[in-house]
Amino acid sequence: MKTIPVGVAAAAVAISLVLTACTATPPAPTASSSGTTAPKASVLRVWAGSSTPITVDFNPFHVDTALFGTYGPIYEPLFFYNQLSADPPTPMLGETFAYSADGRTVTIKLKPNLKWSDGEPLTADDVVFTLGYGPNKSDKLTSVTATDATTVGAKYSTPQFTNESQLLGATMIVPKHVWSKVANYMKETNPKPVGSGAYVVKTTSDASYTLTANADYRDGPPPISDVQYLGLDSNQSGQDMLTTGQIDWTGMFVANPDTVTGDGAIATMNAQQDPTVIVTCSDAAKGCKGAQTDPAVRQALNAAIDRPALAEKAWAGLVGEANPAFVLLPRDQQWLSDPALAPSPQSPNAAQAQQILEAAGYAKDAKGFYAKDGKEVDLDLFSPDGWTDYNDAAKLIAEEAGKAGVKVTARTVSEAEYWTPVTNGDFQLAMYGLTQSLVADPFSNYDQYFYGKSTAKVGDAPTRGQNYARYANGVVDAAVEAAGATNDPAAKKAEYAKIQAQIAKDLPYIPVVLNASQAFFNTKGFTGWPTNDNLYADPLPYLSVAPAIVLLHLKPVS
Amino acid sequence: MVFYLRRIAFYLVTLWAAISLNFLLPRMMPGDPAAIMIGKLRRASGGRELSEETVKAIYALLGADKSVPAWDQYLAYWGRLLSGDLGVSSTRYPYPVATLIGNALPWTLLMVGAATVISFVLGIVIGAWVGWKRGTWLDHLVPATSLLQSIPYFWLALVLVAAFSVQLRWLPIVGAYDVFAFPSGPEWSWDFMVSALYHAFLPALTIVISSVGGWLLGMRNMMVSTMSEDYVLTAEAKGLRPSRIRDRYAARNAAIPSLAGFSIALGFVVAGSIVTEQVFSYPGIGKLMIQSVQGLDYALMQGVFLVITLTVLAANFLMDLFYGLIDPRVRSHG
Repeated sequence: MKTIPVGVAAAAVAISLVLTACTATPPAPTASSSGTTAPKASVLRVWAGSSTPITVDFNPFHVDTALFGTYGPIYEPLFFYNQLSADPPTPMLGETFAYSADGRTVTIKLKPNLKWSDGEPLTADDVVFTLGYGPNKSDKLTSVTATDATTVGAKYSTPQFTNESQLLGATMIVPKHVWSKVANYMKETNPKPVGSGAYVVKTTSDASYTLTANADYRDGPPPISDVQYLGLDSNQSGQDMLTTGQIDWTGMFVANPDTVTGDGAIATMNAQQDPTVIVTCSDAAKGCKGAQTDPAVRQALNAAIDRPALAEKAWAGLVGEANPAFVLLPRDQQWLSDPALAPSPQSPNAAQAQQILEAAGYAKDAKGFYAKDGKEVDLDLFSPDGWTDYNDAAKLIAEEAGKAGVKVTARTVSEAEYWTPVTNGDFQLAMYGLTQSLVADPFSNYDQYFYGKSTAKVGDAPTRGQNYARYANGVVDAAVEAAGATNDPAAKKAEYAKIQAQIAKDLPYIPVVLNASQAFFNTKGFTGWPTNDNLYADPLPYLSVAPAIVLLHLKPVS
Repeated sequence: MVFYLRRIAFYLVTLWAAISLNFLLPRMMPGDPAAIMIGKLRRASGGRELSEETVKAIYALLGADKSVPAWDQYLAYWGRLLSGDLGVSSTRYPYPVATLIGNALPWTLLMVGAATVISFVLGIVIGAWVGWKRGTWLDHLVPATSLLQSIPYFWLALVLVAAFSVQLRWLPIVGAYDVFAFPSGPEWSWDFMVSALYHAFLPALTIVISSVGGWLLGMRNMMVSTMSEDYVLTAEAKGLRPSRIRDRYAARNAAIPSLAGFSIALGFVVAGSIVTEQVFSYPGIGKLMIQSVQGLDYALMQGVFLVITLTVLAANFLMDLFYGLIDPRVRSHG
């Protein structure tokens, strides 16, 4: 749609470029030229990680390609779950919710007098419609009805306790009067979204998109009148734009954050959450091949690696300590069954690694590497080329494993060659990132990554979950199912204790570090950002929903 | 006439081969685009179960369907191509490939095209002059510009951005125009054109700096060898003005080999400049190419390669005809 104007304008530009290439006088430095034309301090400029060209898509069902502002600023869920705290969820469209004792009935009460951005009323009918629409459909949902204009009752065939944050915190409520007319939601790009959030779309281009305050927002229009999201193609550009004051908010890895925060205008926060691991194809019965299918080899690797050195050399010391129970500390402290499980060993112990291997019947061969039954342990560890932190970490891990007598070869592959073997199980070891549970309960970690029904045999991709380690353990499976059916903390913790004991011993994912999650924001032009004392939301602009909460707290400095 | 018919037939066969290769190459790459997209969806949806229906829809969409024989896929590929349908991008679903390429192409043609022309003209003019003054201090220009060319482009661009955009703040860091002043994108106004020109300056400059050395070296050396030709000696003996000998006799003939290289360079302009576009977040084809290869976006990959193939062939064809015109020997032996 923009082809002709771009072409014509650019043609004119190029002609003048040819004619005046060397004499063209720049009008003025960018900072001041943009600053004088748009001095309104209430325009917040964000780089949430979009690359150019930006393709306009505000369809909340396109979880992969929709633009960042879609989730939270435009469309809202019923409640906001703060992934950094164990506090109860904050009401958004919903006011209260209640679970029946068996967990199969959820009753949701909406706030009164809600409105869509086109002025239509937002009622329980819209919520009923949303829960039965498109990808939200679930075969476990037996009925969903609106008992009155602000009350919704949903009945399920199985207990839904563990699904709470998905249902109430991650399902974007959409207007029935718009989406019931959409023929195919997968093909819809929804360029003019009708949402319930504090912002509506103002303008878009292939370099940026701008949201503006929703004048009819239920709590009054937000103080930040416009939010412009940019597309940039490299972290270096993001860092340069940040230091020169051209963007106000971003989340990205900066190895030396002092260079950005040095002059006091930009503040940073680094709340590490997501575990970086070595994923192993762990179960020979599922078709995995290689020495890593022996838990002893995985335990030896776990003992041999030098995590502080990895953190320093591959991640500039900006990462946190991971633990083999896969709980986020201190948030999930109440779910950690055994304090000895946290954190993972923080100093390399080659002697212990060798002990483990020798006890399991391995012996060193002529080359100094461990072997069993005449077969040398020879492991392949790969990571996507250009993901330099993974590449560096893999190299260091291979070195340290070698010192302990375990032969590991680190190699890099193209991104295309990375995902297919990882999903299909055609690998031995890979550097990988897990997504931390978004609520103060590690259930989704266990369910997604360790549960037997979340995996598939080698050659197939799992249809639910992401258990790419092909991990299968009857004790874990039973405990995951039992924990999912109860809402009693003590009973749940007992089940988690069983899971944690098994996975810390079996190590299908060898924890390495907690990945850095650096956010940078302009505190000179805007106040109200989250602080370590007031972590009301995670200040990473690429998250879902949390950025909308941050935007509502911000005020421009006049 | 026979010469031209033969050339046209040759190019038709080449075109067929190139388009067929374009069909084959993405299918020979490792990895499965549907698996990549499902994996991304799974991570993006935060643990929500992907329904059987969605998974099937993605396999159908991404054409990795093993049940359709390759020959039928090939015929369908030609059918779509002839009707101008380049398919739908999977990395930027549901955008049509033709739209993505159409939006990127003008920026590539103009910025990279202008930089290529400027670099060629500068290289030829300076090269002719340096060759003419051979043996003087001007010869130092040759190693100097070659040195600039041997600097890794990525590094050169980063240093220039750090100096002129971040430290001095004379030039913009990213973009093809001021996104803050023009949030709705390109428009027809004087201000916009000034902004676009201002933003194109540094990316174009980096391309010129890193490519002018090659043209200069080639032209200088041709100039030196041309000047030892008999007809230059004859011209001197006739007592012609040195400037006339330099421009009309030596430089004109010395430039012919460079022209051939120039036609190929022009053909490759549409491939864009992957690194330039990445460093400056400048819109263009190179970026689409790298994104499509990383995301195994077959449709986009084929679309981009098709455009590049067609342009390179067209540039070569034109240069063939042009050569036939200016050099009769090519026609009789072609």
